[in-house]
Amino acid sequence: MAGRAEAAVHRHDMVVIGAGLSGLRAAIELSDAGLDTTVISKVLPLRSHSVAAQGGINASLGNVAGEDGAMDSWEAHAYDTVKGSDYLADQDAVEVMCREAPRTVIELEHMGTVFSRLENGYIAQRPFGGAMFPRTCYAADRTGHNILNTLYEQALDREIRFYEEYYTTALVRDGGRCTGCTAIELLTGRVHGFAAKAVLLATGGFGRLYSRSTNALINTGDGVALALCAGVPLKDMEFIQFHPTTLFGTNILITEGARGEGGRLYNSNNERFMERYAPHSLDLAPRDVVARAIEEEIAAGRGFEGGYVYLDLTHLGADHIRARLPGIRQIAMDFAGIDPITDPIPVQPGQHYSMGGIDVNNRGETRLPGLYAAGECACSSVHGANRLGGNSLLETVAFGKLVARAIVQNTQGLPAPATDAVRSRAASEQERIDVLLGRKTGENLFAIMDDLKDTMFEYFGIFRDERHMKEGISRLERLQERFERVHVKNKSRVFNQALIRLLELEDMLLLAAVLAQSALRRRESRGSHTRTDFPARDDEHFLAHTLAHLRDSAIDLEYEPVRLGMFEPTEREY
Amino acid sequence: MRLKLFRYNPEDREQRYDIFEIESRPGMSVLAALFDVQKKHDDSLAFRYSCRGAVCGTCAMLINKVPRLACRTQVAKLLDGSLEMDLAPYPALEVDIDWNPEEEVLVEPLPHLPLIRDLVVDMEPFFAFYRAVRPVFKPEGEAPARERLMDRDAVSALEAYTNCILCGACFGACPVDAKNPDYYGPAALAKLYRFHIDPREAGDGSRLELANTPEGWWACEFHTNCMRVCPKRVPPNIAIGKARRELSEQGREPER
Ligand SMILES: Cc1cc2nc3c(=O)[nH]c(=O)nc-3n(C[C@H](O)[C@H](O)[C@H](O)COP(=O)(O)OP(=O)(O)OC[C@H]3O[C@@H](n4cnc5c(N)ncnc54)[C@H](O)[C@@H]3O)c2cc1C
Ligand code: SF4
Ligand code: FES
Repeated sequence: MAGRAEAAVHRHDMVVIGAGLSGLRAAIELSDAGLDTTVISKVLPLRSHSVAAQGGINASLGNVAGEDGAMDSWEAHAYDTVKGSDYLADQDAVEVMCREAPRTVIELEHMGTVFSRLENGYIAQRPFGGAMFPRTCYAADRTGHNILNTLYEQALDREIRFYEEYYTTALVRDGGRCTGCTAIELLTGRVHGFAAKAVLLATGGFGRLYSRSTNALINTGDGVALALCAGVPLKDMEFIQFHPTTLFGTNILITEGARGEGGRLYNSNNERFMERYAPHSLDLAPRDVVARAIEEEIAAGRGFEGGYVYLDLTHLGADHIRARLPGIRQIAMDFAGIDPITDPIPVQPGQHYSMGGIDVNNRGETRLPGLYAAGECACSSVHGANRLGGNSLLETVAFGKLVARAIVQNTQGLPAPATDAVRSRAASEQERIDVLLGRKTGENLFAIMDDLKDTMFEYFGIFRDERHMKEGISRLERLQERFERVHVKNKSRVFNQALIRLLELEDMLLLAAVLAQSALRRRESRGSHTRTDFPARDDEHFLAHTLAHLRDSAIDLEYEPVRLGMFEPTEREY
Repeated sequence: MRLKLFRYNPEDREQRYDIFEIESRPGMSVLAALFDVQKKHDDSLAFRYSCRGAVCGTCAMLINKVPRLACRTQVAKLLDGSLEMDLAPYPALEVDIDWNPEEEVLVEPLPHLPLIRDLVVDMEPFFAFYRAVRPVFKPEGEAPARERLMDRDAVSALEAYTNCILCGACFGACPVDAKNPDYYGPAALAKLYRFHIDPREAGDGSRLELANTPEGWWACEFHTNCMRVCPKRVPPNIAIGKARRELSEQGREPER
């Protein structure tokens, strides 16, 4: 590749990586504060995973009274969140989010989001698992789609510059700060440099580490791996939420809203088995509880052939289903050939959400000055060991804005960064990619990726124990060895997706290793992390966050206490 | 079953069709079949994907001569003919190729947009029209402390249009877009109409003006391909018809 032109280096005040809800909300706030802001995304913004969120966004608006006529409050929201988290959430972070929630939803409404309404014209709210009040605001069952469109419209209106279909390959460190990143332009295969006073990671979760996942295919955790490689620790990576109801076959999500609206789970004996697992909240118990219940039913031979149970909506009636769950009905018809008005939906648990992520404080600051994170890629931690439905959209939008405000404060008076480090990193990244593309033979990329996903589901899935996890770890090590010899046949520069998948796989293997080590070391069961060999929660040793560092290419774990304050840990009962 | 795929290599500008033998599984989507090709046969095959659940709008392509989402289209249903659809004709449908619909699934890029590689097209012209209708909420009056109240019926009326996932299927299905590169296309007009009927806006009809040109509302010939191919049942043709009637009734038709 002699005679290559120098890498292009773009200079902006702020670079936001990710154009989902958190990235867009942050970009809007940064732009309003007068910062020259750019957003980099590996897909067109509206294709971001946020678009898929169905059920809704939590806020204690109190538009719908609770059972005994009581009114919702941010404190009640905080209590539910902390209890749902199995007391691993940092309570000051939860407070920030729950206080901000009503304002967040009202702001979205003011920006144009068409929320579903009550008879009296106020935003409708429905009950969701683990919540004492009907707190979840929604736009039919297309909440993420509606909010993402609103924020994209607002961002376009502010003439924010988007670099679309640019895949970020590295963060740049210079003089103890993060001063930018490098990204490969899919259209040309060229690596560009981006220099900025600060970088915000809003790259979403890493659900696609798992074979069965509700996540978009692009959710490979790139941003989380970028942060780790830039010297920032990852927090609580072992906590993976498995959604109880994903469509058998494609694992497309069947929203909890379907149970919120009255849907019921049945096993093959036609029993409402949730009566045995959660006598009070039944089908609306928190996700981890329901997911484990279904897995146990299936393991005990009370599932259907292939490993699923039924989610029955038929008793709700055609009108109700058409009005309140049109998206779910469409999904069942398109992807399983079933009409929920007449037939139950076959469902099984699948990976759904990554609670852990880049370690940040309540202002979204990482330990590397100039580097911030928000949304699903970050861990502040508001979800602890288990996230409540509807709290994640809230986190993305609320923290998208709050973190942007922190950035505005922190970057005031900072000079524009030097571009040398970015330029030379862009050149070395280009070289690295040229070397990868230059390999003539080697291991098949897709075979390694499939093996990785199966390994994760099998050994680090809903139920975990030491023996299996150790076996899983040695499998991961062998996959890593194979990856060192990986190659792609496609040598083209233009829209080389095999190359992008290869870069994604590299990140996925790194995150899988961190997740595995973190899970092995946590010798207790808490929230989504279920150890059959340590079935009890152990507050004495593990009321603490796992922090994973990458030191000399080795993963190094340590623990940090949870910030309590409002609510003392007690046993979770539902 | 066999996949017959349009290929385009931007480096040498060669266009051709490749055939791949695929083992079909129950419930297999066209998108899944494309992944099989990429994994097992040819890792240079380019196509866009994201949600695989018909919500993100990434994967619109011309499948068996109908613009559809690859992730939502079942291979088996294509082969048994149950997805056949009659569309008003336009040039992309007429390209004469040898193809047996009982055994082969034909996949080509979304028409009316520049080719990038294989099944990937440049969506920029489509989004340029979208931006041209200035799709951003401009509410009337100062923001209240709480939400603006909305009638449930108004919400349902709006949802017919907010459901659009900007996949571009309608753009690739429109005979007018085929012959007039300046025509805004169904999705952009439907988006404009969504804001026009939002009861929280002033409703003074000024929005309609943005497309009150021969290339806007008035270019539509009501072939209704848009509504037929729309994976979200958005009816752009109805929005266009209503907008035109409103403009005509107010004597605001542009001179032509
Ligand atoms: C099916 C489903 C339904 C859900 N429903 C709900 C719900 O009802 N309520 C709720 O609260 N939560 C829900 N969630 C969770 C919620 O949708 C997500 O947690 C949230 O949308 C994440 O938003 P984000 O902004 O953090 O990231 P994302 O929306 O995932 O966006 C990530 C962005 O980063 C970009 N990116 C990633 N890597 C790179 C890279 N290397 N280079 C450049 N760009 C990159 C992507 O292009 C994308 O723009 C649901 C999740 C799923 C899977
Ligand atoms: S109107 Fe329908 S076909 Fe057209 S872009 Fe929107 S969702 Fe796609
Ligand atoms: S991949 Fe999202 S619509 Fe097909």
